[in-house]
Amino acid sequence: MAIPTDPALAGGLAGRAPADVATADVEVALESLGQWQLAWRRFKRHRMALVGLGFFSFMVLVAIFGPIVLPYNPLNIPGAQQPGGDPPSLQHLFGTDDTGRDVFTMVVNGARISVAVGGFSMLIAGMVGVLVGAISGYFGGWIDNVLMRIVDTFFAIPLLFVILVAARFFGEGQVSSLILIFGLLSWPLIARLVRASFLSLREADFVEAARAVGVKDARITFRHILPNAIGPVIVAMTLIMASNIVLEAFVSYLNFGISPDQTSWGNALANAQSALGLGNWWWAFFPGMAIAVTVMSINFVGDGLRDALDPRTRL
Amino acid sequence: MTQYIVRRTIQAVPVLFLISVVSFVLMLQAPGGPAAQFNQNPHISTAQINKWLQDWCLVRQPTLADTIREYLGWLGVWNCSGGSFLSAHGLPNFLPPFLGGGTNGVVHGDFGYSIETGRPVLSMILERLPATIILMGTAFLLWATIAILAGVIAAVKRYSFFDQSVTFVSYVFYSLPTFWLGLILIFIFGVTLRWFPVQGIVNVRQAAAPFGTPAYWAAFAANPLPNIWDIAAHLVLPVATLIAVSIAGDSRFVRSAMLDSLHQDYVRTARAKGIPERQVILRHAFRNALLPILTNLALEIAFLFSGAIVTETVFSWPGMGRLYYEGVNARDYFLLMGILLIGSVLVVFMNLVADIAYAIADPRIRYN
Repeated sequence: MAIPTDPALAGGLAGRAPADVATADVEVALESLGQWQLAWRRFKRHRMALVGLGFFSFMVLVAIFGPIVLPYNPLNIPGAQQPGGDPPSLQHLFGTDDTGRDVFTMVVNGARISVAVGGFSMLIAGMVGVLVGAISGYFGGWIDNVLMRIVDTFFAIPLLFVILVAARFFGEGQVSSLILIFGLLSWPLIARLVRASFLSLREADFVEAARAVGVKDARITFRHILPNAIGPVIVAMTLIMASNIVLEAFVSYLNFGISPDQTSWGNALANAQSALGLGNWWWAFFPGMAIAVTVMSINFVGDGLRDALDPRTRL
Repeated sequence: MTQYIVRRTIQAVPVLFLISVVSFVLMLQAPGGPAAQFNQNPHISTAQINKWLQDWCLVRQPTLADTIREYLGWLGVWNCSGGSFLSAHGLPNFLPPFLGGGTNGVVHGDFGYSIETGRPVLSMILERLPATIILMGTAFLLWATIAILAGVIAAVKRYSFFDQSVTFVSYVFYSLPTFWLGLILIFIFGVTLRWFPVQGIVNVRQAAAPFGTPAYWAAFAANPLPNIWDIAAHLVLPVATLIAVSIAGDSRFVRSAMLDSLHQDYVRTARAKGIPERQVILRHAFRNALLPILTNLALEIAFLFSGAIVTETVFSWPGMGRLYYEGVNARDYFLLMGILLIGSVLVVFMNLVADIAYAIADPRIRYN
């Protein structure tokens, strides 16, 4: 019986009569049973995950609308009253940097690029990883061998070292190039996860059944196997997004990332270390706090998803 | 087993080759080059720069063919000074020198010279190695000990106050950007409280000579105690930065490995036999949980290498990570390639060690 390996069926068919299960058309059942509704119900029980989701949604809204609403231009350099920058006040909630730029504006404007780099690089990594892993796991043989050697190579590269070199390669600090680099360097983890679940799922009875009915390879891969393998992939994608946000911040902090005429959280931190000695803590503190809290909320969402998408977790 | 090790080692060769090709091509095709340092200098003619580049076996704005040739020169297959695949003796260049091959390139153990300083890459790296080993070694020992202790206690006293605090703290720290934590620690303990120094490995005003030079080590040997004390004081903040984030991730890993182990049948059997709980936990449960933990730690030694770049740049620690950062700034191709190659070998080697350790420790696993 293949049903237990199929989360949609295992969760959704629990209430049905056994006779129903045996005769159920697998393709139709997958569409009508609401794998995602069940997952959402499980997700809601994880309180920190809900808080994380709430905060992350808020951050996305800030990223989209914040720069339109705020009065200051993050690149405007009016000059500061004090040598290290002005401390937080009513005019400047998070203080200013040593050139008088408003740190609050930097944080709000930075959200746009930082969240975009994290989000889009995650999507690229997800697409490439799923594609490579699916092909590798479904076909096996020499294709699998070649693809997995490439994945091995990616795992053996000290990633940070390559990114520092590569960031200069794809254009001079453009957001799109950074997204591309991060995405293209972080897919191997997903490819491995997808491949592993494909190796076990392609032998499952419901796949056998689909093949017997004459379903095409591509449809079996993406319609029958993938939905069952998607849980760990989504969790891994949230982790990739979180770590890519941190990575962007670090690379930009070293001045190898986003060009200085744009604002990201990393760029906001770029010269903050020089002002620490003058007692200016706010310049380093607030952009870093924005990164930390955003990454934390993404991690909580990932944790909630881990429980929600695991078919073994019951309500 | 020997067969397995040999096979894995052979498999590692194409991986390392691929890494070196990819990073070399990326580096050389990147905009800007080592010759950029002469751009502002009106006393240096273009002809002089081209001659200088030629001596380095480089060309300005290399095409793909140039890049491949330069890569083969770095590898030691292409004889750069002769401009052919043959060595000065007229034999294939990749042969060992005593068989009439060339002497350039990594296949002959020659990592080349740093474009920036003109010194051999290997000696530059070796000079920076002690600082990195001191930092990473201290960090790793502390981090492994604390993570294992915290994880095991959290698992044994599951859902206790301690367990929940560990979980909460590790969630918080796991999300902190390492370099930013470094900045905050610098502000609190370096700038405000003035407890610890915030940059370098030794106090340059008191040290007899710059760290790493023979003169320094001579002074160190003559009077070790204050020197060790000095280094220890400089270690506190970078080590704290480095381990805070790593412990957070690892203690959770240890906790779940230990929980898995505690739920096994042999633990129940041991308890049923009346063995004291302390021994059940240490001898039966922990011994078995140690397996995945050790594997995980072996893999993370490789990650320490990347961690080096973060902490060493923030704290101006004179190690390999900072050397790499300086190399990227100067487009010092051969220095970067040297560090990258050593780093990749380290990662591949650690993966292998982790697998072998696993096979030795777990009698159920056999590689055939």
